[in-house]
Amino acid sequence: MGGPMMSPIRWLGWLIPPAEREFILGDLLETYGSRPVALGWGIVRVGMALRLRRDPRLTTHVSPLTKRSDLVGTLLSDVRFALRQLARSPGFSLLAILTLALGIGATTAIYSVVSPVLFRPLPYPGAERIMTFWERGKDGSESNTGFATFLDVERMSASFESVAAISSWQPTLQGSGDPERLSGQRVTRGFFSVLGVRPALGRDFSAEENIRGKHFVVILSHGLWQRRFGADPSVLGRSVTFNGIGYTVVGVLPNSFESLLTPGAVLWAPLAYDTSLPWACRTCRHLRAIGRLKESVTPASAGRELDVISGRLVAEHPTDYPATGMRVVPLQDRLTREVGPALLAVLGAVALVLLIACANVSALLLGRAIQREGEFAIRGALGAAKSRVVRQLLTESVVLAILGGAGGIALAYWGVQGLAALAPPSLPRLSAIGIDGGVLLFTAALSVATGFAFGLVPAFATARPDLFAALRPGGRATGLRSRRFARATLVTGEIALALMLLFGAGLLMRSLHRLLSVNPGFDPAGLLTMEVQTTGPRYQEDPAIRGFFDRARDAVTQIPGVEHAGWTSQLPLGGNFDRYGVQIEGVVLANPANAPSADRYAVTPGYLEAMRIPVQRGRAITEADGTAAPKIVLINQTFAAVAWPNSNPIGARLQVGGPDRPWWTVVGIVGDVRHTSLDEKQAPQIYLPEAQWFSADDAMVLTARTHGDPAQLASAIRAAIRSVDATLPILRVATMEEVVSATAQQHRFAFVLFQVFAVVALLLAAAGIYGVLAGSVTERTRELGIRAALGASRNGLLALVLRQGLALTATGLALGALGSLLLSRFLQRLLFGVGSTDPLTFGWVVAVLMAVALIACWAPAWRATRVSPLEAIRGE
Amino acid sequence: MPSNLGEFEQLVLLALLRLGKDGYGVTVRSELLDHAGRDVSLGTVYKTLLRLEAKGLVLAHVGEPTPARGGRRKKHYVVAARGRTALERSLAALRGMSRGLNPIWGAP
Repeated sequence: MGGPMMSPIRWLGWLIPPAEREFILGDLLETYGSRPVALGWGIVRVGMALRLRRDPRLTTHVSPLTKRSDLVGTLLSDVRFALRQLARSPGFSLLAILTLALGIGATTAIYSVVSPVLFRPLPYPGAERIMTFWERGKDGSESNTGFATFLDVERMSASFESVAAISSWQPTLQGSGDPERLSGQRVTRGFFSVLGVRPALGRDFSAEENIRGKHFVVILSHGLWQRRFGADPSVLGRSVTFNGIGYTVVGVLPNSFESLLTPGAVLWAPLAYDTSLPWACRTCRHLRAIGRLKESVTPASAGRELDVISGRLVAEHPTDYPATGMRVVPLQDRLTREVGPALLAVLGAVALVLLIACANVSALLLGRAIQREGEFAIRGALGAAKSRVVRQLLTESVVLAILGGAGGIALAYWGVQGLAALAPPSLPRLSAIGIDGGVLLFTAALSVATGFAFGLVPAFATARPDLFAALRPGGRATGLRSRRFARATLVTGEIALALMLLFGAGLLMRSLHRLLSVNPGFDPAGLLTMEVQTTGPRYQEDPAIRGFFDRARDAVTQIPGVEHAGWTSQLPLGGNFDRYGVQIEGVVLANPANAPSADRYAVTPGYLEAMRIPVQRGRAITEADGTAAPKIVLINQTFAAVAWPNSNPIGARLQVGGPDRPWWTVVGIVGDVRHTSLDEKQAPQIYLPEAQWFSADDAMVLTARTHGDPAQLASAIRAAIRSVDATLPILRVATMEEVVSATAQQHRFAFVLFQVFAVVALLLAAAGIYGVLAGSVTERTRELGIRAALGASRNGLLALVLRQGLALTATGLALGALGSLLLSRFLQRLLFGVGSTDPLTFGWVVAVLMAVALIACWAPAWRATRVSPLEAIRGE
Repeated sequence: MPSNLGEFEQLVLLALLRLGKDGYGVTVRSELLDHAGRDVSLGTVYKTLLRLEAKGLVLAHVGEPTPARGGRRKKHYVVAARGRTALERSLAALRGMSRGLNPIWGAP
């Protein structure tokens, strides 16, 4: 019998009643010998056969031959006893189980959302070695990289097994069925090896296919392959048309592949840049870079190596970089950076709810202990050790918690659906959210831990039998003081925790309110937006593209109810941005890479009017600013203030994109517009007539100002665009109010959850206060009766009980105030326009809690005034 | 007087009688398989043995440890006098009830 086998067998051996353990294990070893699996299974079967029986003689008798303790047997009988006890007081059990189900269910639901994002590795092999790397901006921020820089890093770095550069790609799929714009990525050859993914069908891109001109090949996601190509394996080698160009399908990715770098990406094509291309320069920073570290290399050492490489590049090309150094950030950190704070805050909040639920059940158990005092005293008298009684009580708590956990899982199943719907769009791994084995394991562990957490205090406070006092008729003074103190402590803690949650919810509510009342710089009410992409052989030339957008604008403007309509290359708060370096005439920079950068909008006449962006000085863009007219530009007030602090910018000239570009003359100043988000610092912005840009934008966003509800006009506007060309895809139809509200989604996510948790906490805390006071009034019936007999007025008695309740509340509030200071610091990153110690919010929250506490105190206090002196004394 | 024996109890008692001094879990199980064609788990055998022991129908004593058992001892069972009496009653009842039924079954 080998050593390694012995220890699991010893553990499994606990299943067999100890009196027979040695003989039965011997028999099993003799039978199964060297087959460990059969042996283990045999032990389990014998254990079950002997444990799960109706005849107590089999296991409870102590064999005269041996005498050993039996952990499993005691546990089973404790569990049976606990279930009987719970069934005996169904009201108490149901209340406790529901409270726990609420706490455990909420925690489970939140955990199932947080875990795949923050705690579980990304769904790629060796995911911890996948890094993103970034150039450093002049303020130390992370910036995308240019192709020339990427090539140098690929050539010089020894830290990575492979690296890849990524650009986004939104081609329109043509052919059978409606044209459809898809989300994809253009990637260099190392992309799939960095992620550790191989196509399930076909192959990865070859080296040759990364050469310009040979790059018309595409790899499909499993989902796209199923949806558009009927999961037909013969799609390999077939030509598919994107934007009027034929691409050969060379591979299909496995179903399990999740695109995390560009959520929703369904197809991939080679990037196929070479350094001769104008957009492959060092300052053309529009590529994202990822790499897979070699086994022995840490992110920090890779960062140091890239810093050295960056130093050399800056020395060679001093005018191309705003700063020296590069940053290496693990992909997982980068993906979760945005949502991390919200998720952790929510996880913290739900932990508070669970704590409150525990405190509540603890208080319930303490209350019940009074009724069971006699039982424990008799057990003690019969010789039960204190440890044995504590074990019995803890078993009861854990059984309660496990029942609560089972209810919690049901709640969580339901809650997860809602969470996924509420989740901010930036939440990665949305598809991985759900109740799975890992979550169930977490819930099981959580339930057991919860059982101990709320069971320990009552168990020790109860299992201290004072035999004489407890058995004396009418007398139950034993441990009353310590238990009363324990309950008061628990309720105080509940109030403190509830205050913390309420304060968090209050701060988030105020932030959301502030955020949504930020003036975005345009008037979102009554605006409809939609994106149209020109595509196909008819739109190869700029005049054709511009002609379409002009005709479509005319058609839309003629619809009754449409006041103004215009096209823009970028929609504010639409999720994209287009930022260019701007050189101002007469301003000489030591390093042109330090030129201010501005959001560029290529717009048609009608856009500023439709958005109601005010022209503060000069003029707007008109029909006269055509392709052949002098190039003009409008700037926003922030740009004017930053670049011309003491002079009038009208008439000044600037270059957009680089020192070799043409000059544009400033003819007007317009109001600031929030572009990336409502809570971001205002950036410089420039508006150019679309007709004057050197190439036509093939996808534009329509903004239409309407009378009345803009959604009502959506189909009419769509029809007007279709009347010009019915084959082009119309995308992302939304009112501007929807667009604005979507940008606050992350704040809303945290807020809605805090709000739900705070309400639950408030209810639980109120139930806790009520329970303690009601119990105390019952216990003090005699005292209250005597007081009444001695002439205490009803108001006096009312005040007596209320005072007791309010003293608890006040202590809880004081503790909670301290806790709130701690908690709100974690919320800092989610707050907007409100301090983390905002006194106004705090005042409100305290008032709400006080009011709820008063209501909870009222019923017991009123009952105290109804105590009849006669009855109280006769009750003895 | 102890209650009547169940069928499986009878089989186990018979197995112990056949085994003499060599009756313990493993041998009882193989005896049941060889002579009664019953392939039962050890758990079932122990359940019955322990019940018979608790009823005082069998006597147990501890044997020597052997290497094949990982140094564990055997618990031997022999049929007690009360067990023998109970078994004889049961068998007598069976014989009485089946007498004269041979023509119906056709054999023996």
